Amino acid sequence: MAGRSTSGEIAAGDAAYARPAARPFWRLHFQRRITLWGIGFVLPTILFFAVFKFGPMVWAIELSFTSYDMVSMPAFVGLDNYRKLLADPVFRESLVNTLVYIAGSTILITVASLGLALAINTRVPGARYCMMAMFLTNLMPIIAVCLVWRFLLHPFGLITQLLQPFGIDRVDWLTSQSTAMPAIIAVTAWRFAPYFMVVFLAGLLAIPKDYYEAAEIDGAGGLLRFRHVTLPLLLPTIFFVVVISALLSARIFLMPYIMTGGGPGNATRVLSMLIYETGFSYMKMGEAAAISVVLFAIMLVFTMLQMRLFMRGERVHG
Amino acid sequence: MTYDLDKGTPGSRGMEEEMVSKTTSSTNGGSGVSRRSLIQGIGAAGIGAATASLAPRAWAQARAPVNLSFWTFENPQQRPWLHKRVKLFMEQNPTVKVDFQFFPFGDLGKKLSVGFATGTAPDGFVSQDWFMPTWFAKDLLAPLDVQRLGYPSVKAFSDDFAQAFVAGATKDGKVYGYPLWFYGFCNYLNTNQFKEVGLDAEKDWPKTWDQLGEVAKRLTVKSGERFTRQGFKFAMHAAQWTMIQFNPILVQHGGQWFDASGKCTINNAAGVKAMTVRASIARTYGAEDPADSIATAPLPQMDWLRERASMFFCHPIPLQAIASQNQKMLKEGYFRPVQYPGVEPGKGISTTYGFNLVVNARAPKEKQEVLHDLYKFIMSDLVDAWNDTAPFTYARKSGWTDNPEVRKFPNIDEIIKATNQGVYLPRTIVYNELADAVHRGVQRIMLNRADIKPTLDEIAAEVDRATEASKRG
Repeated sequence: MAGRSTSGEIAAGDAAYARPAARPFWRLHFQRRITLWGIGFVLPTILFFAVFKFGPMVWAIELSFTSYDMVSMPAFVGLDNYRKLLADPVFRESLVNTLVYIAGSTILITVASLGLALAINTRVPGARYCMMAMFLTNLMPIIAVCLVWRFLLHPFGLITQLLQPFGIDRVDWLTSQSTAMPAIIAVTAWRFAPYFMVVFLAGLLAIPKDYYEAAEIDGAGGLLRFRHVTLPLLLPTIFFVVVISALLSARIFLMPYIMTGGGPGNATRVLSMLIYETGFSYMKMGEAAAISVVLFAIMLVFTMLQMRLFMRGERVHG
Repeated sequence: MTYDLDKGTPGSRGMEEEMVSKTTSSTNGGSGVSRRSLIQGIGAAGIGAATASLAPRAWAQARAPVNLSFWTFENPQQRPWLHKRVKLFMEQNPTVKVDFQFFPFGDLGKKLSVGFATGTAPDGFVSQDWFMPTWFAKDLLAPLDVQRLGYPSVKAFSDDFAQAFVAGATKDGKVYGYPLWFYGFCNYLNTNQFKEVGLDAEKDWPKTWDQLGEVAKRLTVKSGERFTRQGFKFAMHAAQWTMIQFNPILVQHGGQWFDASGKCTINNAAGVKAMTVRASIARTYGAEDPADSIATAPLPQMDWLRERASMFFCHPIPLQAIASQNQKMLKEGYFRPVQYPGVEPGKGISTTYGFNLVVNARAPKEKQEVLHDLYKFIMSDLVDAWNDTAPFTYARKSGWTDNPEVRKFPNIDEIIKATNQGVYLPRTIVYNELADAVHRGVQRIMLNRADIKPTLDEIAAEVDRATEASKRG
């Protein structure tokens, strides 16, 4: 600036103020740069989901309208696969089994895990160790769990022997059409309830003590405190557990596959097993894709329903 | 070993290749080809071509490194022997590398399906014979060059094996499978338990289905409602075993799986009769408890081996399998295989099945050639195979039956007889659907006392739907 007049400097400054120098095209506005950086950071995740999650999902939906034996090229067959499914009693039975399994295991997991959490929360001596011991069921490999339970549930196995004092000498847990599904639901709850117990425990610990003290002062007993304090404040956690355990149950495969092979008859065949058999054993990938779309639709409807309830719970108690 | 005689030198074709490749590399090297090296190359190629006619069975693996993939099923005797032969082949042919993989017996077919779908199927594999129609329907196998396997013609090849077995691996006059093991089922008896109830296993073994029920009833020991010992045991753990054990009962009673038009006929009068006989051991004679078993996929004969059942229909049982579960039984030798019961005495037949060494049609030509050499080598010493895998018998007629090692195996004639007079599993492209449907039906009948006729109707309807779907593509 040396050598220039002051007025000249002011004039130049005014001009710069009045009409900013044109920004080079590569120099974006701050906000836009922030946005682009943000997109840059999330792009790998979006691409990952697009390629490895949504891509296969879209492809599976596309496959469900084709006849595809995994060797020759898929041939478009319209809604044929879906029509076949509707006429197939094995599919209908598997669909009912899946719904029964989802409902049964979700209810049992929720009730059992809430009960366990309430028991642990009483802070009796050794409660923590009990919790740790129970959580171990989640760390055991699922294959080992299934094989051990298969032996325990033998008609004359340990579980039946425990019932002998009640005059029960034999129960065909896994080989009777009436008991096989309840037995698998019970094993599922045994496996997953301790996991959700931890979730409930976190929810219980988050409830302020003052509420219980106030209720106690008002003369509320244990049951009333549970009904009017614990339950309402635990509702978001309950919704969470219901949604997650229902989704876990809908995808169950190994437990019925190893413990009963879908039998006896068709009593424990769930949709995920049927997808596997139809696709890989019978080499009918188009039909398998159609079954997976049905399973996806069930899960989607269920999730949306639960999310609605969840949101409503949040609004009411939030 | 015939292979040693064949192997000898790398083979003239290999030399020819080597010389041609030397010439080529010299050309590609950019240094130009001198007249001398060119003449040397042509001369060497000429010598190679001349000697090629003298040694037609040249070893492809001598030409360049070849990496093969090979899959088979798991079995405590058969898989280690196959692996041993493959390793030996690699030792003798250092340029060949074989990626040897094995899977549970029931999973191999599924693994192969996925492999073909994803382009990761092996170059060669062992196929159960009932899967051959599935591979044929999708043109997944390469025809075998029987001359490369050492046979002058397809007829000579076919004549060297059990006819009906080769027929299952033949399409349009071309052979697609090199038959390996092939065996029938026998009724395995615990002779001690026969003696215990005053029966002589040599004379009193059941020759008819009624006798099977009566003898099984006599052998049964119960403590209250619980069986201490089941007189007879049908396998309930896997669809494949349900098929193997029921197949001869159906055929013996005049039934068939499909009629000429491809419709499933398991629900006709013969099918109902056969299933009634199948169910009678538990329902009429009270000699078995279908829900009470310790059988597993690797050891379906576990109840019999542990003496929880007195009789069991089984493939030839290796002595090692008996030793692994019941040393006393092996040491004292109180077991023997006999033929299946029949509708009439002496007319009992069982299921027979086997395994083929096959080549993936999508494998490159060069790999296909090396696989032929590998298979020829594997099959070149059946006595060695017998020593490691006895009493699993072979589809091949020559090279093993008269060997003293084979002859001295206990009850070998019964085992061979069961193989020779056996009936095959249905050869259909909907085999898996059929097996699953029958297995589910048998479970409903045996475990939940479902009525036989309606259950068979359901099975037939299910199979017909699968057949229709397959026809439509």
